[in-house]
Amino acid sequence: MTNVDIHTLAGAYALDALDDIERAAFTRHMADCESCTTEVAELRETTTRLAAASAVTPPARLRAQVLEQVSRTRQLSPPVPAPRTTATASRSRRWLAAAAAGVLIAGGAAGATYAIQDHRVRVAQSQASESEQIKQVLGASDAKVASGQIDGGNVVVVTSAALDKSVVVVKSLPTPGSQAYQLWMAFGGEARSIGVLPAGASSAIRLIPDTNGASAFMISREPPGGSATPTTVVGQLTMA
Amino acid sequence: MNARSPNPGERRLTSVPPDGAVAVDPNDLLRRVARGDEAAFAAFYDHVAARVYGLVRRVLRDPAQAEEVAQEALVETWRTASRFDPAKGSATGWALTIAHRRAVDRVRSEQASSDRMRRVAVTDVPFDSVAEEAAAQIEYQQVRRCLGGLTALQREAIDLAYYQGHTYREVAELLDTALPTVKTRMRDALIRLRDCLGVSIG
Repeated sequence: MTNVDIHTLAGAYALDALDDIERAAFTRHMADCESCTTEVAELRETTTRLAAASAVTPPARLRAQVLEQVSRTRQLSPPVPAPRTTATASRSRRWLAAAAAGVLIAGGAAGATYAIQDHRVRVAQSQASESEQIKQVLGASDAKVASGQIDGGNVVVVTSAALDKSVVVVKSLPTPGSQAYQLWMAFGGEARSIGVLPAGASSAIRLIPDTNGASAFMISREPPGGSATPTTVVGQLTMA
Repeated sequence: MNARSPNPGERRLTSVPPDGAVAVDPNDLLRRVARGDEAAFAAFYDHVAARVYGLVRRVLRDPAQAEEVAQEALVETWRTASRFDPAKGSATGWALTIAHRRAVDRVRSEQASSDRMRRVAVTDVPFDSVAEEAAAQIEYQQVRRCLGGLTALQREAIDLAYYQGHTYREVAELLDTALPTVKTRMRDALIRLRDCLGVSIG
């Protein structure tokens, strides 16, 4: 996906129709694209007009409940030039911990959404870890997104040619039993192993270096510990 | 739109005009809310609650869940009011954006969409209309006219994504249409709607 392609996601973004990874990539794209920000703001405003169609008077108790909860809910302070709130930092740390563990928690869609969204909030420069590099790839202005579904699970590959890196997210694949999933990238006719998941694992997030020139991503089922060449390929994504 | 799109029966529009509708500037209310003004929040609630609740209920289809998510979203507008930036859109739009995001997050965290479908039959009960709801419906007449200017595919894509909370990949699957086509149709559709409605920011 080129920069122009990612821009076409503006409509889907405004409709909340992107998944977490794409939303994060698009949000980063917007940070460097002033015209996108304006367009998205206008499209977003447009979508909210659609809400008028479904206006329904809520039960009267909702008002009392909301006002009661509001009376004991502390408000966020206004943003200041160095925008790092405690809440943001802790959510980022939670995400970083998850990334470091190599697992994007399956089924935690809402949590992942908020955590990943926080990527757009610049995290401290000092965290030059793998997690930081993952964020750089997800947020790269040239990020290309390829994704697909395998038996109800999701595979997303985000690639930055400028960084010569990819991030692979595998989420909620069918459990491989005692076997293991192995990840591959195809370079010409050759399948190069880029990692083996622990036996039985069905979710992972991995940073893959040196991916320029890869034509496809593949995932296969293997004996625990992996194989030298793919045994049973269960899915493939073109990365053209 | 498809069979689940809005129709007069579903919207239960009454002929009562928004009699005595209070002239409030929601942006102004929200600025006061950001300073901790609970009375301003109560007025803001009255301005947006029917749209927030109705939107969430439409996406989730379960009134009990809708009430819970609407409450979360409305309290979130209170909590984060200082982050509202009028240069990026209206206060009403901002509240609805929070509500819609919450609703689709809830939908997607629920594995079984069949479960959602099942609940419809059991709990989809009528609600009373009041002035604000009617006002929103009248406002919607313009939107409906503009929706009429879209292609069938564009309308369906918008319906499935916005009102039913599907991702664009799911929309492509449901409409048996290529992904890039769905992506561009969504954007084209919103651009057309934007121009038809005269939405502009800043």
